Amino acid sequence: MADTDLRIIGANGVAIPEGTHGEAGHRTYEVFQRERVGQSTAKIKPMQLVSKSFADDPYPFLEILRENYPCYRDWLNNCFWITRYNDVTSVCADDANFETRAKAWHLGLEGFGADLSQALPVLTAHANACDGHAERLADEAVADFAGRGEADLAVEFAARFAMQLWLALLDVPEADAGSVAERLWRLRRGVNWDPRARQAGLAAAHELRDYFAPLLEHRRQAPGEDLVSAVAGLETAAGPATAADLVSTLLEMDHETLHGGLANLWCLLLTHPDEFAKARADARHVKLAVLETLRHSTPVLTAPRFARHEVERFGRLLPKGALALCSAAAANRDPRIFAEPERFIVGRTDICHREARGQYRADGLATGVTPALGPPSRHPAVPEDRPRSRYALTRDTLVTASSVLLERLSDLRLAPGTEPRLNCRRLGEMHTCWHLPVCFSAR
Amino acid sequence: MATGCPFALDIFAAGTERPEETGAQHDFPLMPVGKAVDMGQAPDGAPLFDPRILQSAEFMRNPYPYYRILRDHYPVYHDRLHNTYYVTRYEDITRCYFDDEGFNTIPKGSSSGVLGNTQLELSGVEHRRRRNLYGQHLVGQSLKNRIPAIQRQARNMIAAWERIEDPAVVAERGGVYTVELGQAFANEFPIRVVCEVLGFPKEAQDDFYYWYNSMMSGLGGSETHQQGLQARQHLEDYVAGMVEARRKQPTYLYDEAGNPISKDIISKLCETKVDGDYLSTEEITSNIALVVGGGGETTRGAILNMWRLLLEHPEQFEAVRQDDSLWDAAFHETLRHSSSIGGQPRHNTYDLVMHGVKVPAGSLMEMVDFSANHDERVFKDPETFNIFRSDLYTGKILRSGYNKDGRRNHMAFGVGPHLCPGAWISHQEAVEGSRILLQHLRNPRINMERMPKDIDGKSLAPMGIVSVRELHLDYEPA
Repeated sequence: MADTDLRIIGANGVAIPEGTHGEAGHRTYEVFQRERVGQSTAKIKPMQLVSKSFADDPYPFLEILRENYPCYRDWLNNCFWITRYNDVTSVCADDANFETRAKAWHLGLEGFGADLSQALPVLTAHANACDGHAERLADEAVADFAGRGEADLAVEFAARFAMQLWLALLDVPEADAGSVAERLWRLRRGVNWDPRARQAGLAAAHELRDYFAPLLEHRRQAPGEDLVSAVAGLETAAGPATAADLVSTLLEMDHETLHGGLANLWCLLLTHPDEFAKARADARHVKLAVLETLRHSTPVLTAPRFARHEVERFGRLLPKGALALCSAAAANRDPRIFAEPERFIVGRTDICHREARGQYRADGLATGVTPALGPPSRHPAVPEDRPRSRYALTRDTLVTASSVLLERLSDLRLAPGTEPRLNCRRLGEMHTCWHLPVCFSAR
Repeated sequence: MATGCPFALDIFAAGTERPEETGAQHDFPLMPVGKAVDMGQAPDGAPLFDPRILQSAEFMRNPYPYYRILRDHYPVYHDRLHNTYYVTRYEDITRCYFDDEGFNTIPKGSSSGVLGNTQLELSGVEHRRRRNLYGQHLVGQSLKNRIPAIQRQARNMIAAWERIEDPAVVAERGGVYTVELGQAFANEFPIRVVCEVLGFPKEAQDDFYYWYNSMMSGLGGSETHQQGLQARQHLEDYVAGMVEARRKQPTYLYDEAGNPISKDIISKLCETKVDGDYLSTEEITSNIALVVGGGGETTRGAILNMWRLLLEHPEQFEAVRQDDSLWDAAFHETLRHSSSIGGQPRHNTYDLVMHGVKVPAGSLMEMVDFSANHDERVFKDPETFNIFRSDLYTGKILRSGYNKDGRRNHMAFGVGPHLCPGAWISHQEAVEGSRILLQHLRNPRINMERMPKDIDGKSLAPMGIVSVRELHLDYEPA
């Protein structure tokens, strides 16, 4: 959808791309859409898929879809729900037929700046921040509440740690940390259908651009290892990268998996004492707990993919432009792939322990689908000429932070009388634990 | 090494959003008709538009202030919740309807699952080849020849009315009869006409009501989808044998004198060739399903809406009573003011930019006819029902639309290649039926006691985006 491909015509500015007039919108008559008795989808109502109950706990609804209607045509929300593991991963990996639209498109911020999130210096800055700061920041967070004997791990640890890693990645001066954190948070939550959240997010994008503009110029002259310096050193088609490019880049990076994954991991561990014991007994099991968390309770529930052209899949016709809503949550609990998928099992044997390659598998085993981290990397797990993949970075950072918590606090347990749960605060946002009160003794 | 968090942690605290923000279902307060609920404001002062309003009870009864927000501030509104773009201005919709190539109707519509493949789902030459398979029966001379039969149907139905009521009760009321116009006339009348045009035998008429009701309320995504599919199957089972018989032995429609006018639609479809091949039974059934679905509810709504609006505006009703020829204007103004079809889905064939909104190819673009009909850029004072308005074209319905002498066509039938093929016959049904009703009803008025009420408990429930479900009339027989 580059502007240069569009020819503007007419008074109200309808634009038609050059050279596509031969490919008319007509189609052959034979493609048959009629459904028969017995093909009805009476077990689910589309309204349920956008209900508060779904935002609170989507899994029962997704199970109905997965076991009955693997490619469910949702007329109300104008999409096709894809829910089986092999189907979800095949659509996510199929870039010939499906595309992922940028978060900027979802937010309505197209053309604001260039997305440089896949540029090597940006990846390197990200990796440096994760490897260089994760342990220290986790330490600091724990130190702040260790003396109290109680804390809310969801807020004081998971959310704080993830946000502080962002600030370290950007190397924001401490005096500005408060305003930048609040804007980043608003920007992230703006990628949503809710018009108020969107307006707040758009405003945050502009505020962040104005804030970073002088900082970017400064670091162009005196670069550091941070993300702002990395972007400042890049060129876009429009010239040297600007603060708007930096904001667009920030927008496209993962905001949910680290924060949500950390909160979900600890929520699951604390509500599953036997599994928690495994992680405590053997440091190696912390990584397995992370992998199992991203499978059992992925914070990002769906990957919206759009058909690049008309394609027949799953016994249906998906027209050009159709939205295939790939449900990672449903796929990750597909009993065809994972035994006892509803159970949280640290060290389960049917999930791959190495980083997946290609079709979401390694060693013949499936991995949890984590949409916000993108499809599995095409590069080697330990590449020599570039940093590790975002998936590996996020996984390792989750392990680092959790290990710190395990080391610093003993006798960690849920605060008496609390029953933590996961939910989406707003439909379409991440599915995570927002409130996790715990007690402990400091070591 | 406690350092303190450099930012406030309360930004993460749950419960910072209002509870209604969580899910996509939300009960909006019911507003006085014509007023929109406050959905927030953009920094530039423009009202925000919450897509959940489109599914709300408030919107069903009071849609027009919301369409006005869309027209004024978001002429192409990207609804990110329902993955849809709404086009709401008259001029834009007209352009899109005429651009059959840029805005196609490839099979994505929710109707095709139930009705089967019909021309609704086709574009371009494939659409044109099929459009007139039965359309020719519903227009021109063959329609004119059918008018006496339509009138006879209406008279037969009305003749039975007074026999139902207990004379003693009527006498107690001072000779005033009461009738619910929907049950007594409007629900069934269009069905009888369509049945006859199709060539269905009389005994099929009871099933017909069930077919069209179930199929239309059972389109994809509805709560009653299962019933819709079942009704479609029953219709197919019923029609299959009939089609085989008529392939060998066609049946005819007759005028009042008993002369054959033409073959009925089913017989005609049986001998129709497209691309050198006869239509399959499946194709014929799909076409019948479309006629069944399209021919009932829409005309029913037009008749009831027209009578209600006229009776709510007694001076205009009186004018129609004095001048029979005003029925055409009343019909068209009714469809402009309150039609029973909200809009048509289109999919853009190419990436496009409209009013600054980029729409990727293949997106669902909902053309909102309701909104076009209330576009103050075209129709002055659009919320007012006025059969004498000078900006509405009330002549013969034209596929090309109408834009002369400051008059424009309304959008209830659409315009361009996909103009409703039933437009002309539905016009005749509503107008001829109403003429006969008027001959029968002396001093008709709305029985306020029996009518559904609005939130204030006193005024009539607004018509909103569904047509009037019931219309209770008091009258004295002529």
